[in-house]
Amino acid sequence: MNNHAVVRNCSLARWTAAAVLSSVALCAPAVAQTKVEKRFPVDVRPVIQVRNDNGKVTVRSWQKSEVQVIATLASAKVEMDAQKMGNRIDITSHRLEDNVTAAEQRVDYEITVPEETELQVRIDSGMILVERVFGDLVFDTVAADVELQEVAGYIVVKTISGSVLCVRCAGGRLEIFSVSGNVRLIQPVNSAVLVNTTTSNILFEGDFLRTGSYRLKNYSGLIEVVLNDSDSLDISANAVQGKIESDPGLKLTPRTHGGRPSAPARGAARSFVGMLNDGAARVDLSTFNGTIRIRRRE
Amino acid sequence: MQCTEFRNYAAQWMEGERAAEARLHMEACSGCRGLVTDLEAISATAGDWGAELPEPPARIWTALRAQLEQEGVIREPAAVESGPENGWFAGLFSFVPRPALAGAYLALLLIAGGVVAFNSAPQMDFAALPAFESPGAGVVPAQLNRAERRVVRAIGRSNPAVAASYREGLAIVDNFIALCEKTVREEPGNELARDYLYGAYQQKAELLANMLDRGVIAE
Repeated sequence: MNNHAVVRNCSLARWTAAAVLSSVALCAPAVAQTKVEKRFPVDVRPVIQVRNDNGKVTVRSWQKSEVQVIATLASAKVEMDAQKMGNRIDITSHRLEDNVTAAEQRVDYEITVPEETELQVRIDSGMILVERVFGDLVFDTVAADVELQEVAGYIVVKTISGSVLCVRCAGGRLEIFSVSGNVRLIQPVNSAVLVNTTTSNILFEGDFLRTGSYRLKNYSGLIEVVLNDSDSLDISANAVQGKIESDPGLKLTPRTHGGRPSAPARGAARSFVGMLNDGAARVDLSTFNGTIRIRRRE
Repeated sequence: MQCTEFRNYAAQWMEGERAAEARLHMEACSGCRGLVTDLEAISATAGDWGAELPEPPARIWTALRAQLEQEGVIREPAAVESGPENGWFAGLFSFVPRPALAGAYLALLLIAGGVVAFNSAPQMDFAALPAFESPGAGVVPAQLNRAERRVVRAIGRSNPAVAASYREGLAIVDNFIALCEKTVREEPGNELARDYLYGAYQQKAELLANMLDRGVIAE
């Protein structure tokens, strides 16, 4: 390699490095993120309301009688307001200008609350993650996904396209309404479960409580439930135009009404009705033109 | 009592009146039983709607009432606002908190539209229901479609992910309304399909109410 070649190569390397550094600088946010922290002492069973347009809201519990809110603001065009009124704390993100992009209005929250807290979260996009909170929980999203881990209480989730994952959710009622977000319920321990969606898949995998009532309904998509041989339930699956697939190993006994076999729902092109063991829990599955799949746990 | 008379009596029935003639007719007529079942279901669902939503602006109520009056769906404005003694529409909503009715006001449209559709349906002939001829022909779809047009104009202003979600949601629900209408038209006696149709209308109303509540609907 002659000297000219070495000089050319060094020059090329410098230009490359400069180009990379420029790219990194251009990709970095124009305004650095801001972190805001607030703490509030609370009484038993506080109520926390969160309103956020875009961002991730994480709520976890601790043993203190205190609520900690850490907000990460993506830009100076948005602010966080947290106020305590009685035993209720309102946490709200505000846009400070009209023309703000979704990225600029992003606020991520990490909120730590006492275990027994009532929580109401409303966000448009982003995500909600809640772990080990044992109060009534209400979530309302447009496109944000909702993930609940080991929570308990009266739980309501309404979303347009966000997915919902509930792992070991417990308590009285669990209600989920969605247009297109998929719903997965893993080992739920709720006495009443209602899932009503339009095009979503619904997966239920867990034990059916003997006193439980379970209603899973969609227009299209897959509804899948997994049954144990030991479950005691009275199941009714109906499809207006869709399909029903049941595990041939399932040994259901016909349900009777006044000594005669129960009729399927009027208008159902396909039905699967019967009892497992003594038929304690009530399970209603319904689809318009989707597929209902009833599996037996291996 | 004939079906037409029963449909005219439906308001009193929903308020708890049980005339012997009407009761006999209900026992004999599956169509009118279906009407009552549907109205009860809508009424029950309306009670749950919007419980967590803030109160809509007063102009919503004013505009809604004006629109319903203009279209002849309601004739006595006071019946909508005051207590249960003023009619079953009001009775239906007496248990719904006055706030939070961004959803319930659309429910009112649904119920009003449903009653109009039923009243205009000779002998419960679903195939002849104007509401089922096309998505835009009946009171309910017309109201919903009008609201949707305003929504679609305003959607572009919001967060792209949210806008996409609303657009997709509306398209999905519209598609299912059309599918359910077709099924009900082809199989008028299909109770399950009818349930799904009303559910789809409710979903669309809820979706629009959600957008209204989030300020997506254009002025």
